[in-house]
Amino acid sequence: MCLPRFVSYWICVVIVVVSQTLLSAASPVDFNREIRPILSKHCFQCHGFDGQARQADLRLDTVTGMTAETESGNRVVVPGKPTGSALFLRVTSPDADLRMPPPEVADGLSAAEVERLRRWIEEGAQWSEHWAFVPPQLPPLPGADPAGWRRNGIDAFILARLNEVKLSPAPEAGRETLLRRVVLDLRGLPPSIAEMEHFQRDASPDAYERMVDRVLAGPHYGERMARLWLDLARYADSSGYANDRLRSIWPYRDWVTDAFNTDMPFDQFTLEQLAGDLLPDATQSQIVASGFHRNTPHQYEGGSDPEQYRVERVKNRLDTTGTVWLGLTVGCAQCHTHKFDPISQTEYYQLYAFFNSANETKHSVASSAQQAEITRLVTEIGRLKKVLEQSPAPNESAEDVKRRLEERTKALDQLRKSLPTTLVFREPAKKRTTRVHLRGDFLVPGQQVEPGTLSRLHPFRQPSSGVATRVDLARWIMSADNPLTARVTTNRFWQHFFGQGLVETENDFGHRGAPPTHPELLDWLAHTWSSGGFSLKRLHRLILTSATYRQDSAARAELAAADPFNRRLGRQSRHRVEGEIIRDMALSVSGRLSRKMGGRSVFPPIPANVIGTSSARHKWPTSAGEDRFRRGLYTAVYRANVYPMLSTFDGPDRDNACTKRTRSNTPLQSLSLANDPAMAELFRGLAERLLKVSADSDSVRLVYGFRLCLGRRPNQTELDRLLAFCAHQRSFFTADQEAARAVAGTAPLPAASPQEFAVWYAVARLFFNLDEFVTRE
Amino acid sequence: MSRRAREATRLRTDIARRLFLQGATGLGLGNVALGMLQEENDQGSAGRSDLPHHTPRARNVIFLTQSGGPSQIELFDHKPQLRRWAGQELPPSVRQGQRLTTMTANQKQLVMPARTRFGKYGHSGATLGEWLPFHREVVDDLCFVKSMVTDQINHAPAMTKMLTGHQIPGRPSLGAWTSYGLGSENRNLPDYLVLISRMKRSSDQPLYDHYWGSGFLPSGYQGVKLRNSSDPVLYLRDPRGLPRRLRRGMLDGIGELNQTRYEATGDPEIKTRIRQYEMAWRMQTSIPELTELADEPESTFALYGPDSRRPGSYAANCILARRLIERGVRFVQLFHPDWDHHSRLSSWCVARCRDTDQASAALVRDLKQRGLLDETLVVWGGEFGRGVAGQGKWDSPEGGRDHHPRCFTVWLAGGGVRPGTTYGATDDFSYNAAVNPVHVRDLHATLLYLLGVDHERFSYRFQGLDFRLTGVEKARPVDGIVN
Repeated sequence: MCLPRFVSYWICVVIVVVSQTLLSAASPVDFNREIRPILSKHCFQCHGFDGQARQADLRLDTVTGMTAETESGNRVVVPGKPTGSALFLRVTSPDADLRMPPPEVADGLSAAEVERLRRWIEEGAQWSEHWAFVPPQLPPLPGADPAGWRRNGIDAFILARLNEVKLSPAPEAGRETLLRRVVLDLRGLPPSIAEMEHFQRDASPDAYERMVDRVLAGPHYGERMARLWLDLARYADSSGYANDRLRSIWPYRDWVTDAFNTDMPFDQFTLEQLAGDLLPDATQSQIVASGFHRNTPHQYEGGSDPEQYRVERVKNRLDTTGTVWLGLTVGCAQCHTHKFDPISQTEYYQLYAFFNSANETKHSVASSAQQAEITRLVTEIGRLKKVLEQSPAPNESAEDVKRRLEERTKALDQLRKSLPTTLVFREPAKKRTTRVHLRGDFLVPGQQVEPGTLSRLHPFRQPSSGVATRVDLARWIMSADNPLTARVTTNRFWQHFFGQGLVETENDFGHRGAPPTHPELLDWLAHTWSSGGFSLKRLHRLILTSATYRQDSAARAELAAADPFNRRLGRQSRHRVEGEIIRDMALSVSGRLSRKMGGRSVFPPIPANVIGTSSARHKWPTSAGEDRFRRGLYTAVYRANVYPMLSTFDGPDRDNACTKRTRSNTPLQSLSLANDPAMAELFRGLAERLLKVSADSDSVRLVYGFRLCLGRRPNQTELDRLLAFCAHQRSFFTADQEAARAVAGTAPLPAASPQEFAVWYAVARLFFNLDEFVTRE
Repeated sequence: MSRRAREATRLRTDIARRLFLQGATGLGLGNVALGMLQEENDQGSAGRSDLPHHTPRARNVIFLTQSGGPSQIELFDHKPQLRRWAGQELPPSVRQGQRLTTMTANQKQLVMPARTRFGKYGHSGATLGEWLPFHREVVDDLCFVKSMVTDQINHAPAMTKMLTGHQIPGRPSLGAWTSYGLGSENRNLPDYLVLISRMKRSSDQPLYDHYWGSGFLPSGYQGVKLRNSSDPVLYLRDPRGLPRRLRRGMLDGIGELNQTRYEATGDPEIKTRIRQYEMAWRMQTSIPELTELADEPESTFALYGPDSRRPGSYAANCILARRLIERGVRFVQLFHPDWDHHSRLSSWCVARCRDTDQASAALVRDLKQRGLLDETLVVWGGEFGRGVAGQGKWDSPEGGRDHHPRCFTVWLAGGGVRPGTTYGATDDFSYNAAVNPVHVRDLHATLLYLLGVDHERFSYRFQGLDFRLTGVEKARPVDGIVN
């Protein structure tokens, strides 16, 4: 399942409140950080953006509302005078009937909140817009750097926040750790021993930067990033709902990989996915890109109302767009105006109107060779037809020409039929009328609306002629005035590279979301990235070459005390990688990995009856040859029944955009890594690889395997433990030859006895089950 | 374990649980937490520290999910006057614009009386159709809710609503909420287990993983589906040739190396992983011990019926459910598919009754005779009911019934439920819930109430909003169901 982090939310809140109370003794109250959350939590439900829910004609989400006169004639807020301000008097009223908020609506304010409100009014009641709705400006780089730690702008902001609490950054991680970290983050496959040695030996001052560049330039970068993006796209290979049929949309998946590999600027990346089919002279690739919004589940259950589920898909598209590009919970406005954020129900359906007309169709996808062949055949057919119309040349009979024409036509037809298809949009000439769905029910239509955007954000430019389309929506989203998208996107990649975002609620930048821990840094990143042409590779390089990223991830006592959740980033984070990546690593280390990229999804081996017990129609035609060992990106995904290892390791449900995967830690994961026969095949691969190493001692092989799996050399304690383990296994298998033969099986062994093979098989299994193997440090 | 001991366990593991969860969300804690973590015991998981809100009436739940929409008209909701309406069009005053699926939307709504004869049973005089003979013996332990209401008319959305409170996937299931809130007392098994019937002929009605999913709760709370085959949990067996005593050696090897890394990095997640490997090791024994029914006496199989000897059958799963409850597992959910009788209702519905009748009744009796019924809440029901109009020819053996959301019947038993009662009633056509309607969300509020939880105070913050199982519309625990 997707997400969570708020389990410990209340602890964070307590800590934030405490630290802010301490800080605020010196500095003036900040409206956005300290007052808006109070209003949002206790007041906006009845005195916010939603006009229909608004009580007493009072709104506290705008400066006008805040300074207006109340029904009783008092001012809501009188700057400098808490006791003259109706707001303050009502939240502190001793009369339970008058005190706000009413207990049935929201909890009362805490003493600390009341005190903050009082001080804010006393200090002049400065109101400001919600931080995320103000376009990011380029802030100056703060502070001094006596130790010369900073490597780029990022570090200036990080250092300043660490200095506030007298913390220093962690030392730079060792080269082995750095290499494995970069490679897992950008490629999702472990470094090879040759890479380790090359990087270790490189004494040049920019050795690290050049290593990052090499990884960014490699083809697996696109696959690694596609893994992240496909979670947002809710990509799956089946239709979902009760029938959950297989469908072909993998060309879209390959489009994503290519777009990352060629560093398509993010504005273009956005435009093609939201509206590729609408672009003038759209290329095949742009049409394929419009598959982004064809990744919705599709209901085929007998007896279901097609319109009901078409509406559900349109809403899914809208919600996904809101989550992925705006970081707003737009979907909350489908039944009623959003309670906390400025999204009216009418605006929801104006956005809906952009997506309402598109037809859902298929598109055949030809490779460049196939495309050339099609062109050749079409040309020749045309020529032959012309020949027939005129008169055949003297040396060929009309019969011959007819025969050739038939052949070519048939060949063209066959070629076209053999092409894979992918799901795309096609915008029809005639648009559907869009009406508001009252209470979110499509059977109760309200007023008619035209395509439009959110009025509280930057202005929408209507096209010079005709009705606005998804192209206009995409341009509005990628407009330089948009305060949200660049922040939301840079934050999401930050989350990938540090385990958590600068904004912890990576899917909610609205009023109820968490404020950024480093607002200036977020703005600096967003501004630098967008003004620099939206290159993701450049953004990733910027982050990866910072001193902040290069820190060690080990816990430190003083950090644990002062910043237990590492929000100030006084160290890197240490976290488990995704299920696909764990499998990719195991495949790679075992030597079995196929590096073939793209193409139809594959069906790696699974135990009998895993897929098919709950859904009779699911088929699992187990792949043969190298397709058994492709990267997890290419494993076929049924929405109703995910490949068991991926679901055990928190693969998302794919019905909605998943912006952050959970990192659970369960016993079923242990069983999967230790006992899954598909893993056992990889133990075998690694054992064979280790036995091929020419070695006169266990140590040599152990060190080699350790480096392959963990990207570093073991220390003496670790080596001693491994040696003892090896010896224990050897004595066991020497005593029990039968067990050794059972492990070795009947497949041909490398030059080794069954008991030697069994020893190294057990060692391989041990390596794959170490915490460090599945962890990026 | 006595209640006092359970409370003590809960308090002891509370802090450790919270720290564990922080670990699970990737928030490293560093050395501060080390001492506390090392004190964590192995007595299961603790649940949320503010729960229960009041004294629980039930400790455990067995949810007997009848997937597809069993017909209340044939099984429970006796409407003798329907005979007079046989073959006549349903009065519009009854139908009141109810949506139909497109299967019957264009067909005349002709009344089809129940295909079963009814009788009154027990001291309570509960009405039952003749297809549920074994239920007669336990009616005085059951509470029939005849006025259930939902608002979904297709299977997947309606089942999603019934099990997660919302028709669109993404919310935590009832079992996940329970596991999250209350934890479990068994250290050898997960908190929430799911058992799906192995049908004799393959089912065309899929059951979605999200029916027992954890939604936005941490994924550790999702139901663990025991597979209805010879391997109830995947990968319990060590790879070929590796005997179990070697496994201990491997666990020690992993544990030592992980511990070394833990000392170098201070990451509490490593400690969790060490513990989970130990749990997996225990499950390698506890799961086979659980699912090996050979130690049950003959009388058990006699009670649950001959099908209980077939692994994966509903009846065998009912025995497993009882064994899980005996072991302190918090939430057990069975699924029995194929109650979707659009046609040939007389043949197919009776077949599903045969699959489930004896074992459902046996489970109630068995729990009662073992003294477990008082603290175990048993729920029997599907995602919606079936319409009074015939689908296809009302008077032919081919006839069936379409989906119907406006009324259906569920029954409850045990843990705090008023036994031998019927709550709510439908109109003369079993079409609308006429007396004391109980919406799905009211049922959820009631189940939580019985578990000691106030549904309004049991929320989880996600995307800036506080989500509850019962959603935003008004829900209430139903007094008339509670003893």
